[in-house]
Amino acid sequence: MLKGENIRKSYGDVEILHGIDINIQPGTITTIIGPSGSGKSTLLRSLALLDPPTSGTVTIDDLTMTFPHDTPIPTELVWPRLTVVFQQLFLWPHLTLRQNAVLPLRSRDIDSPEDRVDQIIKDFGINGLADRFPNEVSLGQRQLGAIVRALALEPRYLLLDEITSALDVEYVAMILERLKTLREQGVALLLISHLIEFARHSGDQIVFLDGGTLVEQGTPAILDNPQSGRLERFLGLVLEAR
Amino acid sequence: MNFLQITQQYGDAMLGGLFVTLKLSFIVWASGIVIGSALGALGASFREIVGGPSKVVSVILAGMPALVFLFWMHYPLQGYLQIVINPFITGALTLSIINIFMVADLVRGAITDFPRQYIDAAKVSGMSHSDIFVRIQVPLLMRQIIPGLLLIQITVFQMTIFASMISVDEIFRVAQRVNSIIYKPVEIYTLLALFFIAVCVPLNLFAHWLRVRFTRDYSER
Repeated sequence: MLKGENIRKSYGDVEILHGIDINIQPGTITTIIGPSGSGKSTLLRSLALLDPPTSGTVTIDDLTMTFPHDTPIPTELVWPRLTVVFQQLFLWPHLTLRQNAVLPLRSRDIDSPEDRVDQIIKDFGINGLADRFPNEVSLGQRQLGAIVRALALEPRYLLLDEITSALDVEYVAMILERLKTLREQGVALLLISHLIEFARHSGDQIVFLDGGTLVEQGTPAILDNPQSGRLERFLGLVLEAR
Repeated sequence: MNFLQITQQYGDAMLGGLFVTLKLSFIVWASGIVIGSALGALGASFREIVGGPSKVVSVILAGMPALVFLFWMHYPLQGYLQIVINPFITGALTLSIINIFMVADLVRGAITDFPRQYIDAAKVSGMSHSDIFVRIQVPLLMRQIIPGLLLIQITVFQMTIFASMISVDEIFRVAQRVNSIIYKPVEIYTLLALFFIAVCVPLNLFAHWLRVRFTRDYSER
């Protein structure tokens, strides 16, 4: 279980997250939606302990950390059991897509890392791109490369920030299928997406953030029947923008 | 007197000057690369204590012609301290200081500007600090630093001729002396130019090769 309780995050005097409670169960997909600047990525980074919360509690399985935290965070117990695919991808530019995925496995002394990576590459049907460098492929293909890197780690918690932003419909559908397979395998997934339809079809739980506050959460049914005016307005704006 | 005759008659003197130039260069290169890299790395880690002061010195040195700094180290400083230092040591020290701070600036800038996101991606992939440093940071930093580092070394190599102004018998001073005896400026300075070209052009080509080989265009579509 990945759980955040009363998560607050400030940069200087500015508080970005105002006490958020979120609970992500194994074998479920939680999708965070919300307008730009609502704190989605900040929440994701806080839960991933990359930018630990200013205050609040993060629980990852049997590891509970209350912030502010006096001692160093035992991140070796967290990563890559929990891993992240970032919106900007951050593939290492001096390595090919395959090497990007193999390097972390090799670093962790995993047997036959190439075989594990090649299988995922094959599943995604991007064999022809695997030996190219990140700047030699399109943004969508880089996104797949970043997802391959994360999946090769076989995480129990996978946090994905706007991974579908540059993908065409075919790839979005393929990734959705892959995420559902992971869910069936017991992986807990936390997605940030601006695609309401993607959220509707992927999410077991939808979380709507606005202004650093969790405004509404529930099953995808809340997208059809929002309880709060803010979510209703947001959905209306998304609909208008189409 | 043609090139061949000059070489035959004054070859030993020229070789002596060449040896002094190369000795000076190696001292300046080694100190600059080793101490400069260490200072740059420390400056990136301890920005207020090391990085700030180091940057201030770099800016001051960049604003002062190397020859003025060399003269200042040779005359007023030694006069003020009432010491006399061998001109070769003064030259080596001065050019080393210049090289150290140029290299430190380059290294500090590369480390400071290193995209933290690459490190974040490595962290969440479960890589250890040492693996992140060796396999992600060092290769990317080297690719960024090495071509610039070589160009700095070429520049300081060319600066070694300033040492002739404080009586260091490096190749330029020897060439001037030979010319004052036989007055063959075209032949002598052409030989001198050929020597610098013979050293600097391969270094430049090496820097270019490194840039092409290792510093690929990382910009993404």
